[in-house]
Amino acid sequence: MATARVKRMTPYMFLAPAAAIMIVGLLYPIGYMVYASFLDWNPSQRIGEADWVGLRNYVTLLHDASFRESVGVTLTFSAIVVSVELMLGVGLALLLDRNIRGMSALRTLFILPMMIAPIVVGLMWRYMYHPSVGILNQTLKSWGLEPVPWLSDSGWALTSIIIADVWQWTPFIFILALAALQSLPRSALEAARIDGASGWQQIIHIKLPLMMPVLIVTGLLRLIDSFKVLEVILVMTNGGPGLSTEILSLRISRTASEFRELGQAAAMSNYLLLILLTLTIVMFVYNKVVESRAQAIRQQAEEV
Amino acid sequence: MRAFLKGVAASVTALVMTAGAAWADPYAPYAGETLVVSFPAHPHFTAVMKVLPRFTEETGIEVEVDLLQYLKMREKQTLELTKSRGDYDLIAYVVFSKADYVYADQLENLAKYFMNPKLADPHYNADDLIDAYVSNISLVGGEKGYLPGPLASAYGIPFGSETSILGYRTDIFEKHGLTVPETYDDLLDLACRIPELEPGMGGLSSRAASGHHASHAFLLHLAPLGGRIFDEQWTPIVNNEAGVAAAEALKTIVGCGPEGAQTFGFAESGAAFLQGQTAMFLDTTVFAGQVNDPTKSKVAGLVGWAPHPMGVRRGSQTGGFGVAIPRNAENKEAAFLLMQWLTSPRVDKMIALAGGNPSRYSTHADPEVNETFPHMATFGEALKHADPDWRPIIPVWGKINADLGTALSKVLTEDLDIQEALDGVAERARATMDEAGYYTWQQ
Repeated sequence: MATARVKRMTPYMFLAPAAAIMIVGLLYPIGYMVYASFLDWNPSQRIGEADWVGLRNYVTLLHDASFRESVGVTLTFSAIVVSVELMLGVGLALLLDRNIRGMSALRTLFILPMMIAPIVVGLMWRYMYHPSVGILNQTLKSWGLEPVPWLSDSGWALTSIIIADVWQWTPFIFILALAALQSLPRSALEAARIDGASGWQQIIHIKLPLMMPVLIVTGLLRLIDSFKVLEVILVMTNGGPGLSTEILSLRISRTASEFRELGQAAAMSNYLLLILLTLTIVMFVYNKVVESRAQAIRQQAEEV
Repeated sequence: MRAFLKGVAASVTALVMTAGAAWADPYAPYAGETLVVSFPAHPHFTAVMKVLPRFTEETGIEVEVDLLQYLKMREKQTLELTKSRGDYDLIAYVVFSKADYVYADQLENLAKYFMNPKLADPHYNADDLIDAYVSNISLVGGEKGYLPGPLASAYGIPFGSETSILGYRTDIFEKHGLTVPETYDDLLDLACRIPELEPGMGGLSSRAASGHHASHAFLLHLAPLGGRIFDEQWTPIVNNEAGVAAAEALKTIVGCGPEGAQTFGFAESGAAFLQGQTAMFLDTTVFAGQVNDPTKSKVAGLVGWAPHPMGVRRGSQTGGFGVAIPRNAENKEAAFLLMQWLTSPRVDKMIALAGGNPSRYSTHADPEVNETFPHMATFGEALKHADPDWRPIIPVWGKINADLGTALSKVLTEDLDIQEALDGVAERARATMDEAGYYTWQQ
């Protein structure tokens, strides 16, 4: 009897250390943040000295026009960045999925931007966008074109940070898409070729659908990351002009350090967490639905 | 017995010698202690680092410096000061931290040190410290809570303090027969005339980037043009006539400034002047140290200095740093001795000669200092009109400042109407102040 109980307990005992680390490393900070979001807490106070204000921080934020603008900027930025990067990254992968000489060197070159520290990327682009000495405007001028107010116009500033982000992170999608492409079952592609499918037909009907699970996860990772990008924008525009490039993570950082409102910053982080959680769940549900539909079709095909 | 007597005699001699040494040298009891200080990476403190080894030589007290960019320094200090036992014995703080640190009861009141005859140097001469800086950086508890008054007391000493000053290109002014602007009308007129006279050159370098920079530039003009952020009852009046005039001045200056001026922070604005892209510079005195450094400047030897032009009144900014002793410091008395040494007339002059910003009238008037830095006399003159209340030093200022800076950035880049922008700032500032309890006593 006792041995049976011990036997039943064994897996839990093996799981215990991991669970403990999970609780300490993951749940505790999140719990702390949730608790802090109910406080009126400035950084000169210890957390115990802060006043409990209930949901006030959350309500204040909903009425705060700057916060709402910041959410809008974040959603626009992420949507554009992720779609453009997915298109470019997958496109590049489809183009380069062949045996070219020097391919491995080329691949290393492609992923270089990803390896550069974000602060450096920000500084580099800031100098390239510089209105008078930047390479971009100098080139435009030498071609006899009007210089562009890259960072000093609110419309252009968002475009400029999107360009920088696309430059840095397209390689990430490219690498994963390429890996997915190379692991596709050759039999399916061969069958398609024998049936006379053209290059485009192969891409649209075979390659893309088979790559889809990988692409969804990749897109999701990029989406989560793009919601949290901070340093590049901090260095390039610091959120300006106006609030045109102030994405949520930058606003959180400013709320904590400049406005000295840790409670409100925590509430903002929780909103961000909720947005991300919702997006992730929607994506996974969508993925599951698509998969189960595919499964059903496959089953039908097998039955016939 | 003899041995015993010998022992007693030796002890007595040792005691007398120690006492004698203590009497002769107030630093002796602290010799061998190590002080940990928090300083910003800033030109004044670069000069301080050159002078600091002298302190250890003279006193035997060791000093370890933690040098950080000033906003990072502030963040780290905020954390350190909330600990029950902090790592820092002495901190340099940004002016606007005064409100936060003192309000949270994290700094030592300096009275007990100046009352202690073993610590206070009778030759310290506090009268010689520049009044506007003392009002702005040291004193708390008087008028409006953050200014001097009958019940105010000192929590820090100005150290690395700055005011605003006008720099101009002597060669350009001579070439076109221009006179150095003394009033705001002249300044604004010149700012837009220079780009016409010297195509490709901007009039005046100014910061304008969204947030703190735009707000700082606006505040520089607000005080001389007769404005304030709040009236005596804490009602926001930033949207009155003077406020609109200050925002218009900023818009004119940025409009006639170098290309891309709308996004300039302090570094870019300074760089534009140093690279010869603008003919004038109006900002903090700390910039003066770089102008004649040929590795950073293309305009070495071509820059003259004049006081901040006058609007309806004179009012240059007061800013920079002070030094204070944290409540949770370990070696408070030795820290006080270092603080007193650093801000004494003798060392203030040594630091000025090493390229720092002095905080004493006597240093500004000193012939030796003036020989090395001829602009120092002009700076001394400008300091007489420095305005300690050019921006409020209250805990909620960070939030209002950021909002003001964002609204002004919209004025500069999105053509938002000035009155509308400032009305919005005033309305939101009122809500912030109300939430913070500034209207509790108003019926």
